Amino acid sequence: MTKDELREYIATRYSGKLTPLDLGRYELLYAADATGFKELARELYEDEQLKFDYLLNLGGIDTKERFEIIYNLGSIEKNHRIDIKLSLPYENAEVDSVQEIWPGANWFEREMWELYGINVRGHNNLKRFLLPDDWNQGHPMRKNWTAPDFIKLPEAGV
Amino acid sequence: MTQLRTEEFTVNMGPHHPSTHGVCRLLLTMDGERVVHIEPYIGYLHRALEKICENRTYPQCIPILDRFEYVTAMSCNYVFALAAERLASIQVPERAEYLRVIMLELNRMASHLLWYGTTALDLGAITPFLYGFRERELILDLFEMTCGQRLTYNYIRIGGVARDIPPQFIPKCREAVKTITEKMSDYEGLLNENPIWMARNKKVGVMSPELAIAYGVSGPPLRASGVKYDIRRNDPYSIYDRFQFNIPTQRNGDCYDRYIQRLQEIKESLKIVSQALDGLPEGDIKAKVPGVFKPPAGEVYARMENSRGELGVYLISDGTNKPLRVKTRGGSYNNLQVLPELGKGLLIADVVAIMASLDIIMPEVDR
Repeated sequence: MTKDELREYIATRYSGKLTPLDLGRYELLYAADATGFKELARELYEDEQLKFDYLLNLGGIDTKERFEIIYNLGSIEKNHRIDIKLSLPYENAEVDSVQEIWPGANWFEREMWELYGINVRGHNNLKRFLLPDDWNQGHPMRKNWTAPDFIKLPEAGV
Repeated sequence: MTQLRTEEFTVNMGPHHPSTHGVCRLLLTMDGERVVHIEPYIGYLHRALEKICENRTYPQCIPILDRFEYVTAMSCNYVFALAAERLASIQVPERAEYLRVIMLELNRMASHLLWYGTTALDLGAITPFLYGFRERELILDLFEMTCGQRLTYNYIRIGGVARDIPPQFIPKCREAVKTITEKMSDYEGLLNENPIWMARNKKVGVMSPELAIAYGVSGPPLRASGVKYDIRRNDPYSIYDRFQFNIPTQRNGDCYDRYIQRLQEIKESLKIVSQALDGLPEGDIKAKVPGVFKPPAGEVYARMENSRGELGVYLISDGTNKPLRVKTRGGSYNNLQVLPELGKGLLIADVVAIMASLDIIMPEVDR
């Protein structure tokens, strides 16, 4: 499917579920509702015309007002791509895990949980990942977390 | 004889194990000599590159991303420049595109040659290491001649490249291409039919195409499983649509196929470099980019085919001179994630072979 055909197809089949965003400057970018995204993801995966079987990338975004999650999806067989964005409130941000659909999402979600503090429901292994095991200084990728120039070492006693 | 009690035990492999290529710790649950479960522990090289990039201007991000995947730093330079150019709709001059392709393909060869040497070293063969590094040196000399650096280049900039190639570059480059083309038979002669190499690699770590796609595996491991997917063809960037080259694939998806795959990719890269040298036009090497680079608000995902798989950057601009978010995605990240699936039920020595064949590089995983 070419990009225009894809846009057309999604507009007819997924109206109401996927809303086009004009921020996307290269690929098609859509907004979706965070509640029920897992079902939508399964639909996109199983749709014979779309077959989004390849999760390229998944990551959190902090816009200072809200959290956003970006899913870059692709199809190996059909060779087309879209990006889907979810928006979450700053307090108690939660999203369903999609690792049952794309097993490769596992680490991406774990990283997002750790660095942004976005809770992932239904994830099988939410534990410290990139940061040290005894890390207790919050979620470093949030915008209100500023990197200190120097970190005091506990044993230095200063 | 009384019934003996057996139990599983855990072994720590790494973080300072030579075959983990950096600092990756694998916690292996063993049943005798057999691996029951593998759990990778990563993060020893986490430098928060994404956070650092959020506090830098766009041109300042490029040397930081050099450290993201330092074996093919040209690709990291390129993918960020590509994302920024798409955001700001910059048209890159012809000559710059050709120079970029030459550098990217030379860097891919250097990376595969490094892989060829270190993988053989992991499995106990010393000579391929010397061979691989001998020819890699020719390529690093070319880079040093062009940008003064051998590992972290900061050469590909937003809108073009940093400086033009010196006049000696083209003859030297042709010479290097000729030498590597000749030496390919040496590499193949050392390992292709080597009984030890075949015993260690054939039918080890077989990855089915379904498994590879489900885990988002990309690059040579994906194509070695029989999936013909190369971003240079499937989502063309730069000027790759002008060159004649093949996308080799293999059938079995085992460690041996991944080895054959990389050697074939070196041959294809050699073809691309020769064609790019032939077609190299005269002209500007950099588009006009304002001194304070402020792309309009928007977001873009740029991706490219790196030697280790898909290298991607999701770049969000809010209209200021600093990016709002730089999400990087390296091929090793997903390729390492599939390791527990491949290693189940094999011997501990096979885990070394699989890990080597996937070509993991840890700074790309940890960032």
